[in-house]
Amino acid sequence: MSTAALARRNPYLERPSSSSLADVVDLILDKGLVIDAYVRVSLLGIELLTIDARIVIASVDTYLRFAEAVGRLSLDRERSQPRTLPDLLEDMKPATPPKVARHVLQRGKEAGKEAVSKVEEGVHKVEQRLRGGGESGKTEDS
Amino acid sequence: MIPGTAATLSGAAYVYGIVPARTVLPADASGVGEPGADLGLVRHGPVAAVVSAVSADGALGTRRDLLRHSRLLDAIARTTPVLPLRFGAVLADRRAVVDELLAPRQARFAAALAALEGRAQFTVKARYVEETVLREVVEREPLIAELRERLRGQPAEATWYERIQLGELVAGAVARRREADSAALVGELGRWASAVTWRPAATEDGVVDAALLVERAAWPSLERGVEGIAERQAGRMRLRLLGPLAPYDFSNELMEEN
Repeated sequence: MSTAALARRNPYLERPSSSSLADVVDLILDKGLVIDAYVRVSLLGIELLTIDARIVIASVDTYLRFAEAVGRLSLDRERSQPRTLPDLLEDMKPATPPKVARHVLQRGKEAGKEAVSKVEEGVHKVEQRLRGGGESGKTEDS
Repeated sequence: MIPGTAATLSGAAYVYGIVPARTVLPADASGVGEPGADLGLVRHGPVAAVVSAVSADGALGTRRDLLRHSRLLDAIARTTPVLPLRFGAVLADRRAVVDELLAPRQARFAAALAALEGRAQFTVKARYVEETVLREVVEREPLIAELRERLRGQPAEATWYERIQLGELVAGAVARRREADSAALVGELGRWASAVTWRPAATEDGVVDAALLVERAAWPSLERGVEGIAERQAGRMRLRLLGPLAPYDFSNELMEEN
């Protein structure tokens, strides 16, 4: 087994080269071989530490925290912030070529033209925004 | 009295774990307790205990003690089978290590160590990215979505019980997801392991803590496999892979079998 292979880094996986104190506490205080022969020395504050690590209670506090957390979520359909240029471009992508093609096939040339003009309108708006942004930049410069 | 004997006999023996008698300890290893405590093996037939001297009236359990216990055993586990003892095992002296620990269990220790030959433990800890899992819950559970909608913008004091009810529903939905995700994850991890044991993670965002006993030849494929799972679950779960470790989760079981 090469250590190089073990040291390889992947951005998605936490792969510490040695265990953290929390990892260690989990393992060596709770698991491992227990032999009845030995006497245990007094252990500094350890009983407290293990008890703390095991406290997970579904309490009213937990429920209130969950309720607050789901309340805070901003779901896609509720997004209220002003839409940015990337948002607009994102929205246009699926609406352009495939839709135009479908309209042309289904409803003939007129509908096709309509769809194309809609797309052109959208592109024009985006261009205007871009130009607007550029111009305001210029005025500030001069 | 022979100088040195008294000191050896009066010093209690802290025991880290059980190894084959042929084991060579890592050169840079250090023990718990007083700095410079002599770390070594107490051998008996084919097995040995890894021990160091501690004073019987001292207390152990500082951060350094815990880390040293664990790092020494994990370093041994990279190359040699080891049965790790739970932190805090102390016997009266080195003679007691032989008489009370090794001699009565020599055959069972030897058999358990033979079963561990070429294997070490890996631990996978999976945690939810809370926002993602809560979003899933709201989007897929109409009852929760509805109650959430109804409570939006309402003053907290006036909707206390409804909020608790919403939180309880969310906690239940997260628990169901945890159960399904744990089963899937443990099933997948099992492909690389000769034994698996797991328990639900003990935190609100926890999915599962799984311990795997893995043959050395499978270490690289396990690592790639877990990387693949982590990549697939990115944004929804965070995975942490530890190992090779001493087989803490399998030692008691191995001793019962042998």
